[in-house]
Amino acid sequence: MKKRINLKRIFLIVTVIAAAASLYGYREFNRKNKNLHDVEATANLKSADIITQFANDEKKAMTAYSGKAVAVFGTVKKIDKDEKGFYTIVLGDNESMSSVRCSIDSTESSQAATIQSNSTIGIKGICTGYNADEMGLGADVILNRCVIEPAK
Amino acid sequence: MKKLFFMMAAFAAINTVKAQDKQFTKTGKIIFDATVPKSPENIDAVNKSVVCVLDTKAGALQFAVLMKSFEFDRALMMEHFNENYVESGKYPKAEFKGTISNNATVNYTKDGVYPVKVKGKLTMHGETKDVEADGKITVKAGKINAVADFEVLFIDYKITIPELVADKVAKTAKIKVDCSLEPLK
Repeated sequence: MKKRINLKRIFLIVTVIAAAASLYGYREFNRKNKNLHDVEATANLKSADIITQFANDEKKAMTAYSGKAVAVFGTVKKIDKDEKGFYTIVLGDNESMSSVRCSIDSTESSQAATIQSNSTIGIKGICTGYNADEMGLGADVILNRCVIEPAK
Repeated sequence: MKKLFFMMAAFAAINTVKAQDKQFTKTGKIIFDATVPKSPENIDAVNKSVVCVLDTKAGALQFAVLMKSFEFDRALMMEHFNENYVESGKYPKAEFKGTISNNATVNYTKDGVYPVKVKGKLTMHGETKDVEADGKITVKAGKINAVADFEVLFIDYKITIPELVADKVAKTAKIKVDCSLEPLK
C-alpha cells in the first residue's frame, strides 16, 4: 500500500516537472525580442562620443557596446525611408562623414515620421557594430531595432 | 582667361562623371532563409543596414554586412544564429568583393531591366569562398536597383549545425540581396 502511494507521488512529480519543462520550452521558443522601451540602456552617449570611441579602439568599443542597448543623443543629419516604409535615422555632425545609423523598429515608424532634420533627439537601439570607412563612404556605428527616446 | 575657364569647366565635368560612376547605399537589404519542410517555423532574417558600392564603369561590386544586424522574428533563433552558428562576436562582419561579369551589357543611363552575372569572393565566419550569382540591375528614372540571389553552403564557411536540429535547418541558406543605390557625391 505504502509502495503504491510512493509510486503515485513519483509519477505526479515527474508529470509536473515534464509539464513545467514543456511550458518553459514553448515560451522560450516563441519568445520575441523585447521592445527597447522596456529595456534599460547600458550607456547614454552623445553621437560624437560613441563614434570617437569606435574610431579610436574598435575592439574595446565592441566589447563595451556590441549586442547591448545603447541610448545615443545627437543631431538628426538625415532621415531615410525606404519603399517598404522602414526608417533609418542618421545622427551626427553635418560636417563629418561619420555617423550613428539607427535602423528604426517597425513599431516606431509613426514616431519616426514626426522627426525633423537638424533637430536634436535621443534614440535607443541595439548596437550591432561598426562599419569602418573602407569604401570611402565615412564610418558608421550601427544601431538596430531602435526606438525614439522621449524628450527629457 | 577663356582657356583657363574652359579647362576648369572640363575638369569639373570629368570629376562629376567620375563621381556618378560610383553608386552606393548604406540601407541595402539582405534576406537570409534556411527553412526546410521539417522546420517548425520559418528560419529567416533580414538585415537592413547593408553597405554596398557599385562602380558602374568597371562593374566592381562590394558589400559589407554586420552579422548582428540580422533581425529574426524569434529572440531564441537570433541568439542561436549569433552565438552558435555564425559566432558574430568573433566574426562580426561578412564581406563580398566581386564584379559584374557582363557589365558591358548594362546601360546605366537608359531605363530597363538588365540580367547580370556576379562573380566574386564572399568572406564570412573567417572563411573566403568564390561565389557566383544571377541578378538584375533595374534602371528607372536615373535610379539604380541591384538584386541578386545566391546560395551559401554552411559547411563551406565552417558553420556547423548541431546534430539535434540538423534536419530542421537547411544545409544551404538562400540569400537575397536588394540594394537601391544613389550616386556617390
